[in-house]
Amino acid sequence: MSWQWFHRLGSPRWFYQTSTRWLPLLALIAAAVLISGLVWGLAIAPADAKQGNSFRIIYIHVPASFLALAGYYIMAIAGAVGLIWKMKLSYMVMKSAAPIGAALTFIALVTGAIWGKPTWGTYWVWDARITSMLILLFLYLGVMALQYAYHSIDAARKAGAILALVGTVNIPIIYKSVDWWYTLHQPATIKFTSAPSMHIDMFLPLLVMIVGFYLFYAVALILHTRSEILRRERKTAWVRELIVPKADTSNAKEAA
Amino acid sequence: MINMYFASFQDLLTMDGHGIYVWSAVIISLVILVWLLVAPILSRRALLKEVARDILRERARQSSSKKSTNNQGAV
Repeated sequence: MSWQWFHRLGSPRWFYQTSTRWLPLLALIAAAVLISGLVWGLAIAPADAKQGNSFRIIYIHVPASFLALAGYYIMAIAGAVGLIWKMKLSYMVMKSAAPIGAALTFIALVTGAIWGKPTWGTYWVWDARITSMLILLFLYLGVMALQYAYHSIDAARKAGAILALVGTVNIPIIYKSVDWWYTLHQPATIKFTSAPSMHIDMFLPLLVMIVGFYLFYAVALILHTRSEILRRERKTAWVRELIVPKADTSNAKEAA
Repeated sequence: MINMYFASFQDLLTMDGHGIYVWSAVIISLVILVWLLVAPILSRRALLKEVARDILRERARQSSSKKSTNNQGAV
């Protein structure tokens, strides 16, 4: 079996060049899906019988929470691949996933708090689901902070990867918190094992928003990784060639 | 034809009193999402400029040192 694809996947140069080609199309699709999902959810879907219109916050809150959790797995797996195969690109993906995950967790917490006011009568409770999400935010911030805590890049990467891996224990706790503890937070609306506890007219736009958030996440992760690749590889021949092509310099020399 | 749930644009904004919650949640989220895209684009742009400047400066130095060695050779 040829492992060439695996090594190519680990090449920052290959990633950069390929993503240059695909990013505009991906961004366009992501924007289209997000906008149509948002309009559908906010303006077209019917109001909830019990919660009224405040339930529409679900169209941001649930997709953001989904990606906050999925993004943590992506960050931890990237860290593990970095630790095991010493793959540079993998560490770059890990580092890039941290601020995106932190931002999505923050969105989940803030939209949840805003939703809590009209629904529960309070912005915040120290409920199992909410507290474990707050811990998730601190884990993301921890991985971000560790990237700047060491003089050696290698030490920073390894420390970040280990924290990311240890932190994965929190993810199933977040998922299960609404079942394990008596919480104010409602149980999951969408489960893989059963039909959604939601009318189809409300569920479809939610599904569109979840797909849209996945696409957005991909675009954001690629953008952050590309920026990180340039920062790390700025001394290499291919980045220099990319920034100031050889042809230009001969002209520049002639001009000088 | 797709129909809006609300009778008017005004109703869409107020959402029977829940508008303030829904719209503030949407706006805060959108601002953060846009920032997630803009931040790497800006940092990449700044980095490209910085590296381009370094490369040009380096080449200018190389070509000037080459000239000076040529001059020494002539002398």
